[in-house]
Amino acid sequence: MRGWGIQRFNVYIPSSLEDALKVLSEKGSEVTLLAGGTDVLVLARTNIVKLKLVLDLWPLRKELSYVKKEDGYIKIGALTTIDEIYNSFLTKDRRYYGFHDLYWNFGTPYLRNLATAGGNIGTAHPLSDLSILLLTLGAEVKLTSISGERWVPLEKMFLDIRRLNRRPDEMITEIRFRETPENSSTALMKLDRRKGHAMGYIVTAAYMALEGDTIANVRIAFDSTGKPYPGRAYKTEEFLRGKELSLETIREAYNVLEKEMTRISDYRAPAEYRVDLSKVLMKRCLLLIKSRIEGGV
Amino acid sequence: MAGSETVIQEYPDIAIRLNVNGRDYVVTVKPYERLIDVLRYKLGFTSVKEGCGRGECGACVVLMDGKLVPSCLVLAIRANGSKIVTLEGLAPEGKLHAIQKAFLDTLGVQCGFCFPGVIIATKYLLDRVSDPSDEDIKNYLEGQLCRCGSYLRFIKAVKLAVKYIKEGKIYFDLKEVKG
Amino acid sequence: MAQVPEYVRIVEEVFERYRGKPFVYVGTYRQRWDAVAKVTGKALFTTDFLKFYKNVVWVHSVRTKYAHAIIKNIDVSRAAKYPGVLRVVTAKDIPGVNDVGYVIPDQPLLATKKARYIGEIIALVIAEDPYVAREAGDLIHVDYEPLPVYTDPLQIVDLDTLKEKPHTRIHEERDSDIVAHFKIRAGDVEKALKEADVIVENKYRTPMQEHAYMEPEAAVAIPEQDGGVTVITSTQCPFDARKAIARVLNMPQSMVRVIAPFLGGGFGGKEDVANEIGSKAALATYLTGRPAVAIHTREESIIGHSKRHPMVTWYRHAAKKDGTLLSVEANIVLDTGAYASLGPFVAWRATVHATGPYRVRNARIDTIAVYTNTVYSGAFRGFGNPQVAFAVERQMDILAEELGIDPVDLRLKNILRAGDRTVHGQLLTEEHGVGIEEAIKKAVEAADWYNKRRLYTRQTGPIRKGIGIALMYHGNSIGVEGADYSSATIIINRDGSITFRTGLTDMGQGAVMGLVMIAAEILGAPPEWFRVELPDTSSTPDAGPTVASRSTVMGGNATLVAAYKLRKRLNEVASTILGCSPDDIEIKAPDVYCRSDPSRKTTWNEVVEQSFWLGVPLQEFGYFRAPKARWDEETGQGEPYITYTFGAIVSEISVDIETGQVSVDKIITAYDIGKVINPIGAELHAEGGSIQGMGYALMEEIIHDINGVVRNNNLSTYYIPTIKDAPEIIPLWVEAGYKRGPFGAKGLGEPSIVAIAPSIVNAVSHALGIRFNEIPIPPHKIYLALKREGKTRL
Ligand SMILES: Cc1cc2nc3c(=O)[nH]c(=O)nc-3n(C[C@H](O)[C@H](O)[C@H](O)COP(=O)(O)OP(=O)(O)OC[C@H]3O[C@@H](n4cnc5c(N)ncnc54)[C@H](O)[C@@H]3O)c2cc1C
Ligand code: FES
Ligand code: FES
Repeated sequence: MRGWGIQRFNVYIPSSLEDALKVLSEKGSEVTLLAGGTDVLVLARTNIVKLKLVLDLWPLRKELSYVKKEDGYIKIGALTTIDEIYNSFLTKDRRYYGFHDLYWNFGTPYLRNLATAGGNIGTAHPLSDLSILLLTLGAEVKLTSISGERWVPLEKMFLDIRRLNRRPDEMITEIRFRETPENSSTALMKLDRRKGHAMGYIVTAAYMALEGDTIANVRIAFDSTGKPYPGRAYKTEEFLRGKELSLETIREAYNVLEKEMTRISDYRAPAEYRVDLSKVLMKRCLLLIKSRIEGGV
Repeated sequence: MAGSETVIQEYPDIAIRLNVNGRDYVVTVKPYERLIDVLRYKLGFTSVKEGCGRGECGACVVLMDGKLVPSCLVLAIRANGSKIVTLEGLAPEGKLHAIQKAFLDTLGVQCGFCFPGVIIATKYLLDRVSDPSDEDIKNYLEGQLCRCGSYLRFIKAVKLAVKYIKEGKIYFDLKEVKG
Repeated sequence: MAQVPEYVRIVEEVFERYRGKPFVYVGTYRQRWDAVAKVTGKALFTTDFLKFYKNVVWVHSVRTKYAHAIIKNIDVSRAAKYPGVLRVVTAKDIPGVNDVGYVIPDQPLLATKKARYIGEIIALVIAEDPYVAREAGDLIHVDYEPLPVYTDPLQIVDLDTLKEKPHTRIHEERDSDIVAHFKIRAGDVEKALKEADVIVENKYRTPMQEHAYMEPEAAVAIPEQDGGVTVITSTQCPFDARKAIARVLNMPQSMVRVIAPFLGGGFGGKEDVANEIGSKAALATYLTGRPAVAIHTREESIIGHSKRHPMVTWYRHAAKKDGTLLSVEANIVLDTGAYASLGPFVAWRATVHATGPYRVRNARIDTIAVYTNTVYSGAFRGFGNPQVAFAVERQMDILAEELGIDPVDLRLKNILRAGDRTVHGQLLTEEHGVGIEEAIKKAVEAADWYNKRRLYTRQTGPIRKGIGIALMYHGNSIGVEGADYSSATIIINRDGSITFRTGLTDMGQGAVMGLVMIAAEILGAPPEWFRVELPDTSSTPDAGPTVASRSTVMGGNATLVAAYKLRKRLNEVASTILGCSPDDIEIKAPDVYCRSDPSRKTTWNEVVEQSFWLGVPLQEFGYFRAPKARWDEETGQGEPYITYTFGAIVSEISVDIETGQVSVDKIITAYDIGKVINPIGAELHAEGGSIQGMGYALMEEIIHDINGVVRNNNLSTYYIPTIKDAPEIIPLWVEAGYKRGPFGAKGLGEPSIVAIAPSIVNAVSHALGIRFNEIPIPPHKIYLALKREGKTRL
């Protein structure tokens, strides 16, 4: 526990991505990247982190704030805010209505104007709604450094709570996922003690493609399936794939989910509840996606 | 941290340019200073309240280039060159904005600590949705915590503000309001 | 028999005179005096004053790492040398008394030998800026010897025997960790139990609730040229704060001036902590000769200020087949945390209200308050009553279920009516105003109770609806807890404008507006002509603490007395101008005329001007003191309170049985507050109290881990209701006038939260057929209860 406000630190304001990458390559280990700051500046109130040199990424929004379709991919710049994602074409396309859910579930309106896509992944924290949704879209993350770039599947980005699979000289610059087929859609849900301004006991998102009533493809992600960061329920997905979508099928999938998921008990809720809630919200997501594919909202 | 070496760091003064409520200011800030502190203590815009400093309560929200942001989570240097609107700047001197008038007329004022944030958030809402439903109002005000519990009045107030604006009544004379 | 004081006679006379007559200002919807300042952002709260002061020093509180430990040594040498640090303060630097305890002197401002909870302050760092102060704070080294940490009162005492268990004493300077013990002994419980057809016995738990007012505590201190100090601080009780600060600084109270500006909420929480934070800033000013500021962050606020006492209770109710209550027994354990604060008073109020607003002839109640290593508890809207009301109202519902009687009918059978005696033997008469029956009827009718109760009883499907009722009563003002007086000053200025001064603070609740309306009614001048001066110990009169819903009744009476005396003089002056008798003068400012001949008239300003010429003073000080309360320590018999506010709450809810999530759909509140002076203020209380009570029922609880560390010290994890959670709220009023209240009024500030939680939990229990005897009931608890009973299917 610290006292008033935040800590003292120095800030480097880069003139370009190039410039930022140069600083990272020189002083990487003592640099903290600051995107929206909705996570960093809250953590800075505790003794958990000691900020030394903060690299302000906001000026890079010129280059790194966008949502676009290109070469069969949807590409999101790392410094795109949740609000900008909402105001993009994504939320107008029923395949991506999950981004609608994301927006209305994400913190509060004022946070959505600061919180960025890169920062959401960068937190490596379970309750990262965008990361959870992106996992269901099979997203990949572009890590850029002065010496080049590499693509890493999102599910390989998290090493531990608040530990990202990133070298000190790298930063996230883009997130991309392949355009999904017409007969598919997405959804995200969470539930908490209160209805507004909810962090979520748990968060669930799903992507599903239907052929008739058959589940052609499905990906389901949670804030956690065992590790302290967002993850997918691969076995449950596998079980569902190729089956006819019905309440019975989903209920059968509960058993698979229960086996592959380990949940923690903490002061917010016991594990048993988190597991059961995961099932319910998974069910609701899948049913919602079905109705979305059929033309609902 | 107790026990560790004391390293004395230097932090430069940085001059930033802000436009607050239509007026330009040049202020010197430290790199770690927050926008809220500059607005409140250096420029005197104390309608901006600090309820948490953590982006959780909405008391500190301002419009920054038209976007609603918690000024407790924005570094002052980041606001360099931007246009800020606080409650003080919602209406010209001696006037009340329709939103303020509506919040008065719906009689929901209690301690009032949350009001600056609620009114600014309402401005943001009406900039984006000109005729909001109850659900829109709740969606846009969900981050504005009010412990006195004036929430039901907020919904009424936003609707009344919409009515005033539709009638073309954007500003009210403060003298008339005071009676 | 003692002479009835003049001020009591005045209040009674006014009550009789205005009874049933139309009012001009009282009871009308009016804009609050401070509303414009608040919607324009001009209203100044404590920290806002900082913009007016230069050369300010910052005070940072260094808090303990352990919730229970012996402090062996405090080494501040490195911190003191840190660049930018002016002073590091420990207990030995305090010129006066190192204590800020409220009821008993058990709480040091700065700990010396022992830390007893995680918010305990060890040292203060005074520095040129807050960042430096904080960094230096990290350099203070404390040697601790950790002791076992107790976070549950049942680690300290046994609920069945109320005896202390073996443990490491938290307050080693006292001979027990039980701080207080109150009792009620009425009738013959043994006999009642023998005669009973049904006995219902249960244990209940209620959580530690955080006030979560939106403005965290702060204080700004300014040095005065004579060595004194002025402190602007967020306090509900400026005179108490002055007393505490003067003691810490070892100064006469006259040298300490406390100003309470606008408060961003209080709800009872800005009492002790204001003494603490005011003292911290004052001390820094005293030691440095510069203006000083202390601001608690939200996290500090949550771990460092008093809370609503968690309570564990055991209750046994006995009744006859027809529903007649025979006896109530209870063991009540109040967890007061690390320090007593107002714990003993809270325990007393809990005891008084422990049987609810019912006719109970046989009772045995034992309430104890015990120390633990949790954040200390103190005053919070309701003051011990919400905790016992939860237990009592759950008991009544369970009793109704066991008896097969509708919960409303069971209550109607047992409620207090005029002519009945309370469990303390206090005879309630028409003069008290006993409006609970009418309140129940109004609420039940508005809710369509009987229909819905039936309709919701057999439901299937994923969403289940429920409807529940709870009753409450709440003793007005402070009873035997302290000196129960209030005062107000009214000054009519030469231009006819009016200055109103009281030491009662307006922490948002709008009580001062009610006082202005009372004065306006008596004087005949519109409320808009009044200018309210915020509490300042140097100008506003000591009005006693702003607690216990006493503003309207006690402050209102003091105001009424002042206005009455002024009005009398104005009438006399007008009479000399107009030639009709003083009793014939009507004032409807700006007009003043003879009632018998309205053509004979003059103006308010003329009357005021003439008063100045005639040497008639137009300043008046009003004072009111409540009749002395009586209470027998051994039996709990007497007259604990001057009167009671009554209420009936009906809540409607829906539960999603797949997730356990509750939506509160509607809350109907029917309160008997004697006379609705300021309807908008009353409605806002009904709304705000309902929403806070809903938080108490469903989501709010401060959670300590086994080391006594608060897990949820922010507003993301300490949940309070948002606009999306707020239900529809329908406030209804009953006006069973109280003869010694201003125009018959009683208080509402605290009562408005008391019965909300039990009404909601009763509704949830109704919807699901499951008994919930602990709050809060967040989704996971409801869901898991459903699952255990096999009532859910995913
Ligand atoms: C009150 C409150 C409510 C919240 N509610 C939600 C919620 O509902 N859902 C949710 O998902 N989150 C929520 N959050 C958490 C937070 O807002 C999000 O995780 C957000 O997306 C973080 O983005 P940012 O841009 O603000 O990140 P920052 O705080 O700037 O950074 C977060 C982390 O990512 C790193 N980082 C940032 N950008 C990059 C990059 N380009 N490359 C590599 N690393 C980078 C930073 O160094 C840091 O470690 C909430 C936070 C608060 C304070
Ligand atoms: S102070 Fe910024 S959100 Fe609370
Ligand atoms: S009016 Fe007090 S917090 Fe909203």
